[in-house]
Amino acid sequence: MGVHPFVICWLIFAGPLWAAIGAGWLSRVYHRKGLERASARFVGGLGGGAFGPVFLVPVHFLTPDLRKWQWKAGTGAALVLELFLLFALLQPQNLCVTNANYVVNQILNGLSIGFIYALMGVGLTLIYSVQGIVNFAHGQFYMLGGYISYYFLNSVGDVNPLLGIPIAGLFTAILGGLFERLFLRPMHLGRVERPSEYAILMTFGFGFLLEYTTLGVVGPFPKMVTQPYVNLPRLEIFHFLILPNRWVAGCVGVVLFLALIYFLYRTWWGKALRAVSMNKMAASIAGINPLSMNTAAFSIGTLLVGMAGAALIPIFSWVPGVGAKASTRCYVVTVLGGLGSVPGALLGGLILGVVEALGAGCYPDPTKGAAYRDVFGLIVFALVLLLKPTGLFGRKV
Amino acid sequence: MKGRAVQLAVIMFVVLFLGLLPFALGGQPYYLEVMTSAFFYAVLTSSWSFLAGLAGQFSFGHMAFAGLGAYTSGLLCRYLGVSPLYGILAAIVVTTLFGFGVGILCLRLRGAYLALFTIALSEILRIIVLTEHQFTEGNRGLLLPPLYSGITHVGQYYVTLVLLLVILGLLWWLARSRFGIFLRAIREDEEAAAALGVNTVRYKVSVFVLTSVIAGLAGAIFYHLVGIVTPEIMQLLQMSLIIAFAVIGGLESPIAAAFGAILCRILLETLRGFTIFGVHIELGVWRYAVFGLLLVLTLRFAQNGLFYPIIDYLFMRPARREAVAKRKQEVEDVRG
Amino acid sequence: MRRLLNLALLVLLVSLAASAEETIKIGGIGPLSAPGTVVGGIAMKFAMELAVQDVNNWGGVLGKPLELVFADTEGLPERGAAMAERLITKDKVVAIVGEYHSSVGLAVAEVCHKYGIPVLFAETWADAITETGYMEVFRIAPASSMVSIAWADWMKAVGVKRVVLIYETTDYGIGRMETEKQLLAERGIEVVATFGVEIGSTDFTPILMRIKAMDPPPDVVSAASVTGETSYNLERQMVEMGIAPTPQTIGIANQVAIQPEFWESVPGGNYFVFNQVGLPPAKWNFITRHVARAYYEHFHTKPPSYVLESYDAVWIMADAIERAGTTDPKALIEALERTDIVLSQGRYWFEYGSHNPLPEDVPKFMWHQWPNPATLIIQYFEPNQSWEEAAVLWPPSYQTHGVLYIVPGTKP
Repeated sequence: MGVHPFVICWLIFAGPLWAAIGAGWLSRVYHRKGLERASARFVGGLGGGAFGPVFLVPVHFLTPDLRKWQWKAGTGAALVLELFLLFALLQPQNLCVTNANYVVNQILNGLSIGFIYALMGVGLTLIYSVQGIVNFAHGQFYMLGGYISYYFLNSVGDVNPLLGIPIAGLFTAILGGLFERLFLRPMHLGRVERPSEYAILMTFGFGFLLEYTTLGVVGPFPKMVTQPYVNLPRLEIFHFLILPNRWVAGCVGVVLFLALIYFLYRTWWGKALRAVSMNKMAASIAGINPLSMNTAAFSIGTLLVGMAGAALIPIFSWVPGVGAKASTRCYVVTVLGGLGSVPGALLGGLILGVVEALGAGCYPDPTKGAAYRDVFGLIVFALVLLLKPTGLFGRKV
Repeated sequence: MKGRAVQLAVIMFVVLFLGLLPFALGGQPYYLEVMTSAFFYAVLTSSWSFLAGLAGQFSFGHMAFAGLGAYTSGLLCRYLGVSPLYGILAAIVVTTLFGFGVGILCLRLRGAYLALFTIALSEILRIIVLTEHQFTEGNRGLLLPPLYSGITHVGQYYVTLVLLLVILGLLWWLARSRFGIFLRAIREDEEAAAALGVNTVRYKVSVFVLTSVIAGLAGAIFYHLVGIVTPEIMQLLQMSLIIAFAVIGGLESPIAAAFGAILCRILLETLRGFTIFGVHIELGVWRYAVFGLLLVLTLRFAQNGLFYPIIDYLFMRPARREAVAKRKQEVEDVRG
Repeated sequence: MRRLLNLALLVLLVSLAASAEETIKIGGIGPLSAPGTVVGGIAMKFAMELAVQDVNNWGGVLGKPLELVFADTEGLPERGAAMAERLITKDKVVAIVGEYHSSVGLAVAEVCHKYGIPVLFAETWADAITETGYMEVFRIAPASSMVSIAWADWMKAVGVKRVVLIYETTDYGIGRMETEKQLLAERGIEVVATFGVEIGSTDFTPILMRIKAMDPPPDVVSAASVTGETSYNLERQMVEMGIAPTPQTIGIANQVAIQPEFWESVPGGNYFVFNQVGLPPAKWNFITRHVARAYYEHFHTKPPSYVLESYDAVWIMADAIERAGTTDPKALIEALERTDIVLSQGRYWFEYGSHNPLPEDVPKFMWHQWPNPATLIIQYFEPNQSWEEAAVLWPPSYQTHGVLYIVPGTKP
């Protein structure tokens, strides 16, 4: 197994070594010159990894404004391209390199699921932006949404599963609101010692309670909604495989996303929520009750994620355990996009969907690729947390 | 003085009770197994409460370190044929290194971010162990040789009991020492502590390494006793149990957390199916739902845990009284 | 207050008295909670309780009633070992039957071997269990290899050349995949690819896209080593993406395809091939029908093989105790070895044991193994078909429609 000379070149003149050096070096240089440090670290890491000292030396002397998005996007894109070329060199027989059709199919599939991930994540990000806490029970609300839709569809009979979505959302919204009011409001009122610890443990504990109560009630037998959205299992357009049912779910995600944006920017409540997320003190001076906004945000967050669950239950079978997996995906989406940013959640969801699809599809060992599917998203997640915890758009909504 | 005597008496009583329990139970393997597993969870819970409650670092990767220790030892014993003792030593070394690495990575992460990061790491490790089944046996389970040949259930009980007592002693001593004070300072306000000259980096990394090693050691020892380990132990469920035990017992004090763990573990076992007035109730999976409810209610209404008041009364109140008395004395001395 | 105390005392005394009657206790083990497969455990427990009831209706064993003590092993080996310990030392059972998960079964086998108590496995398929060669271990479920041999022989007979195997990364899945790979290679069939999936996964599009990109398409795509709802998801997506069953590719489903809910969960699942351990309905005797009827009344679905095996396991134990004339473990084991009885799955005997030592050329897993479980290969050829009407393709002695394989779109 001779290592390709290009790879060795890359590892010496660029690559992870220079990424680490670049991050530290530029961060220090910019700090000493009194300029912003975080972007310097980020761009230094990406640029060093892509171009090595060729990039770092001129930037050291010229110190351009690295906060501009062009720098981040440019170095990021260059690095991604380089990694792909390296991959192609090392794995010439890999399907992802030889079969463009295959790659496109994987990306399309990733995007269709990505919209749902975005919907799941945007609820979490909204809750964070208004309340400042991460809802560790988010995935369990997703799980509940699916089950409510299932039971509703089963009792009503032969209707399109789309009808289950608002019903599920209503239920999870009410449950979320109640939980927030009863268990989280004391924290905001200052009646709790060590509030940040309390928030983590309380949401986590509630998620645990929800999961096991649901397990007790519905049992371990998996449930599946068998009516499809459309009676068309697959479409082949120009050799590209489209699974219409998944795309319907994806479209539901898009529609709800757009509805959310309309809500946030065009209605009074939405603007009030954004106000609270920007500056709680100022908002309360302006007459907005932050406590009600907290409850509202939590309700809306759980509404969205419950609907996401209801949207997916005709496609995948459901067990109470899906909540935990969904939670992890939500975290990835929101951190990728930036905790507190709605457009970030959309981008984060799509990126996660594509990363998972390409990772599982292109992993050199095909037997393990699918099993490692979750890992790819998690690795990106861990890297983002380390290098740029504020994510892509890390400003509040 | 009286407080001190009471403290010592209580400690001695508890230790004696636990030490003689096997004989009271008549050497019944089933009960001994439950207690052994309870002690294991107690070690993990108390070390986690030290990390999360005392130092404020909410790492969700604790079970991952336990699993790391168990798998390191198991894989070494299997592929290199060494005795479990070397396996456990290797587990300590590996968890130290990983704990150090993770601690350094986590330096800049606070609160929920730290929790999320450690969840991610834990899941990544679990999936890798699960998928590389040619190497780790994945879900088939990796067999580990017994700690020493001819070990009995009573032996297992005492091994874990001694481990628990040693770890509790260590954690309690650390909590009362400068180390503990600095950790609490860092937890309350990291910037202020740093401003006052506390080397936050050193302490944060140290506590991470310490608790990771404890978890790894406990994991290695326990799974040598059980004989087989699967990646299931690194699932988030197991971590949730530890968290639940810690909260119910008392997050501030490792000893309260350990008691919480032992009691909850026994409760989980007995709640499986019990008979009241000839009516047999099988709770099955509802046990966990009950625990979830207990966790949520305890956190809401008794945030310091259910055992904490006892510990507080026995150990902390005398100290507080002492401090107050000393202060009064000083004031009187000054007044003259 | 005094009256309440009296009442409590009375209840206590009555319950004590009720438990005073002597019974012969048999231990039952299986998963009743996660992470074990609860469906399996519940079904097995039901079958065992039914068998105990029937045994007692027939007069019990050695003049005493039989009592089942069931323990939840949760699908975790350490729990299984602990439960086995409890059953043997605390509940004083004379034998143990059951278990669904092989990894748990291995742990339990060790415990039973330590105490010398016989254990009869009713579902754990891993070869390793009987390969231990312990005197205490018996099995009436097939060894995993036996099922894989049936598949390999069938594929050879059909003329398959290229196979894709999808398996779950559990002890069951990994074991089956490795055995199948080897057996197929011995028969000159190429395993083009194997894909591992985590149990509980729901989205298989990455794998299926890879298979779709294969040119030419494989002859067989097998999901047989993926269990439960995971397999339903997989099979559904196989159909949705047009991978199998198609005229070019044979689709193999997991044995849960036998359940009527298969048709709900896998719309368009016609022409899937799957295996079933157990006699086809045409060969059912009155015992099989009795168990199936009771199971249907309770669960509204047909009994899977492990239900019938669990039922039979209790009877085999009862019969052995009766023949031994005592509950002494050594005598019981000896009596078990000489078992020859006809129950719901046909005639049971243990070919190899201390009464008939294993020859060199016979695989080790045949020790204390029932050699004759029917491993059928079945295929649906009409939508919503019940498995009794489906075509049995293999073994030739059970073949119903005179064909080895029905090409999708045709009728036998």
